[in-house]
Amino acid sequence: MNVRRVAAVAFKEWREVTRDRIFLLLAFCMPAVWMFVFGYGLVLDVENISFVVVDRDHSSLSRDYLYRFYQSRYFSFQGELAGEGEADAWLKSGTARAVIIVPEKFQERLLSGQPADVQTLIDGTFPLRADITKGYTIAINNAYNVDLLADHLARTRGLSRDEALRRTHPLGLEVRYLYNEEVRSTWSTVPALIMFSLMVSSPLLTALGVVREKETGSIYNIYSATVSRMEFLVGKLVPYVMISLINVVVLWLMAVLLFAVPFKGSLLLFLASSILFILTSTGIGLTVSLLVSTQQAALIITVVVSTVPTILFSGLIVPVSSLSQAAQFQAHLFPGMYYTNIVRGTFLKNVGPAVLWPDVLALAVYAAVLGTIGYRLFTKRPSV
Amino acid sequence: MRVSDRLTVWCRRIAVMTRKELLQLFRDIPLMAFLIYSFTLSVYVTGNGIQTQLKNAGLLVSDADRSVSSRELISRFHSPYFRFDGELTHPNEGFVRLDRGGSMMVLDIPTRFHEALVSGESTAVQLFVDTTNSPQGLSAAGYAARIVGQFSQELIMTRNGQTGSSSTTVPMILSDHRVWFNQDQNETWFESISHLLRMITIFAVLLPAAALVREKERGTVEQLLVSPLTPAQIMLPKVVAMTLVILGATAVALFGVMLPVFSVPIRGSVALLFLLTALFIVATAGIGVFASTVTKNQAQVGMMTLLVVAPMLLLSGIFTPLETMPVWVRYLMALSPLRYFIEIATGILLKGIGLEMLWSQALSMLALGVSLFGFGMWRFRRQFQ
Repeated sequence: MNVRRVAAVAFKEWREVTRDRIFLLLAFCMPAVWMFVFGYGLVLDVENISFVVVDRDHSSLSRDYLYRFYQSRYFSFQGELAGEGEADAWLKSGTARAVIIVPEKFQERLLSGQPADVQTLIDGTFPLRADITKGYTIAINNAYNVDLLADHLARTRGLSRDEALRRTHPLGLEVRYLYNEEVRSTWSTVPALIMFSLMVSSPLLTALGVVREKETGSIYNIYSATVSRMEFLVGKLVPYVMISLINVVVLWLMAVLLFAVPFKGSLLLFLASSILFILTSTGIGLTVSLLVSTQQAALIITVVVSTVPTILFSGLIVPVSSLSQAAQFQAHLFPGMYYTNIVRGTFLKNVGPAVLWPDVLALAVYAAVLGTIGYRLFTKRPSV
Repeated sequence: MRVSDRLTVWCRRIAVMTRKELLQLFRDIPLMAFLIYSFTLSVYVTGNGIQTQLKNAGLLVSDADRSVSSRELISRFHSPYFRFDGELTHPNEGFVRLDRGGSMMVLDIPTRFHEALVSGESTAVQLFVDTTNSPQGLSAAGYAARIVGQFSQELIMTRNGQTGSSSTTVPMILSDHRVWFNQDQNETWFESISHLLRMITIFAVLLPAAALVREKERGTVEQLLVSPLTPAQIMLPKVVAMTLVILGATAVALFGVMLPVFSVPIRGSVALLFLLTALFIVATAGIGVFASTVTKNQAQVGMMTLLVVAPMLLLSGIFTPLETMPVWVRYLMALSPLRYFIEIATGILLKGIGLEMLWSQALSMLALGVSLFGFGMWRFRRQFQ
């Protein structure tokens, strides 16, 4: 490989980029804008679930019970219905996601020491939301049950309230959160967003590089030039790798300074694996560019290939361990997952190469494979 | 020329140009192959693969008691929510395993656990949770709290029984949940619907945007402009052609994958669904049309549209519930047609409702489509004057 020829191709490519002001601006703005929007906007705590109630009992105890839902920041009270028949319309129109139905004789049963059924109707169209809603109502009910029981024991056994409360808590659970002690949503999303922003924006930088020259015909200059296949591909890649590298630094600074996420691990490891990751992500764009013959196809294929697996299968939100086998397989086919492990590991966990080497190795192998594929696909003597 | 003649000519021109666009699209074999993949296999893998509820959370146990009670408690942490990853001799070993990843939490049961429970004392177990992925960590802790709470409640009941109370019942609220529209909480329904919407969005924005810029880039738009065609007659056929192709792909995804494989129900009107899907595609295409008028080449238009599409995909309520969004995001997403269409699609398919409840979403989409398109058209005309 002749360094001067590589430099010549890279320099030509760089000029083309810098002359296209809009492209250059977008190349630098896109990851930063996403980091900003998603860092503040992609919040994952479900709150304000709208609900309505049907109170058939209208007693002081039922009001006391429902008050716990009114008070909760997880729920947002929309109104009281006259009967269960109205629930249908509220759930169907989406104005309420849950309906809580307090039965008749609620107070009577509880005061006489009997259980009472409280029914909750939940909108199941979005299973995640339904599951969370269910969890919240169970938590509220459990807390209320403990109080009910303590009152009951105090009344029937003549215990003091403290003693009764102690008896209702035979087994406690002490939860300690590790790595993200205060369980801040931003701490877990922002490092993963570095992965997201790079993985979605970098392939697009290179995706049109070769196919554009094919479409306009300028590729014939390359075919007839002395530059070798590898030199051409490397030269094509260099400017975009540099742009992405600058973006990594910007994103890292945003994470640490703007979002105040602690960086506990080794900066060297982070940067080294970021370079590998950038090589794979820009390499994906270049490979698509070599495979197709129109820019339109290159654009769409790259966007789908880079965004969809990144959103779904890279551990951004849904952990890889909870995917089905086919989806896990797909997750391992894309570099995003490995880099997510590295980013979260170096930011929050302070783990080093001893733990992260499989992920780093996977990225290196990925980059090597893409390089080989690119080399094989590109020919200076096209059959057509 | 009479009005009816002019109309015929207008329609014929649109038809001819639409045919040209369709031919051009179908000749791009890699693109078509990818379109088919996106609306079939991709929908299948995603619908089948994504599980947003807690699943397989790796649990390590450090059981210092090794008693009936401790084993009973451990056995309550079962699949599908938890995955038992093994026992530890010492809790510290667990931290090393959590560092390495794979396992997500460590349950630490103290010595004398069984003794304390039997003798009526209070005791506690400790749970260490990896919260590098905070929603998952919280969810796992929530499930654990439910399990321990249930265990604790049963203890109180047996103690109550043992102490010879007259009635074995205690006052408590029994939670009875009915999940509507999806009784079994089958996740494939929502995940396949949301993935289909994701694909429609990407294709609806990018196809016309790239097609319009390509003509500009290559200069073929000059030829079209000197032809008798008006700017609207150049632009509309592209959108019509893309809309037809995407609608066809949607039908394939719906009748070829989602219905037969996932048994997604169609409880509402199919005609209304496709009508509103067409409206959604056109409204979303408006974003692409607009982007194509402010850019000069396909690289620019690709980045410009992706800049907008990525937030649409992540924040419109197809990925996480709208309830999680901060207020400013909810205002921002009022501009995203997808935010309305997810309610329309799940409403028609799963809830079986019609326009009587979806009119406001449909109108919002229409308003967005008309303004985006109008603006795009105005810019497109202006460019060549």
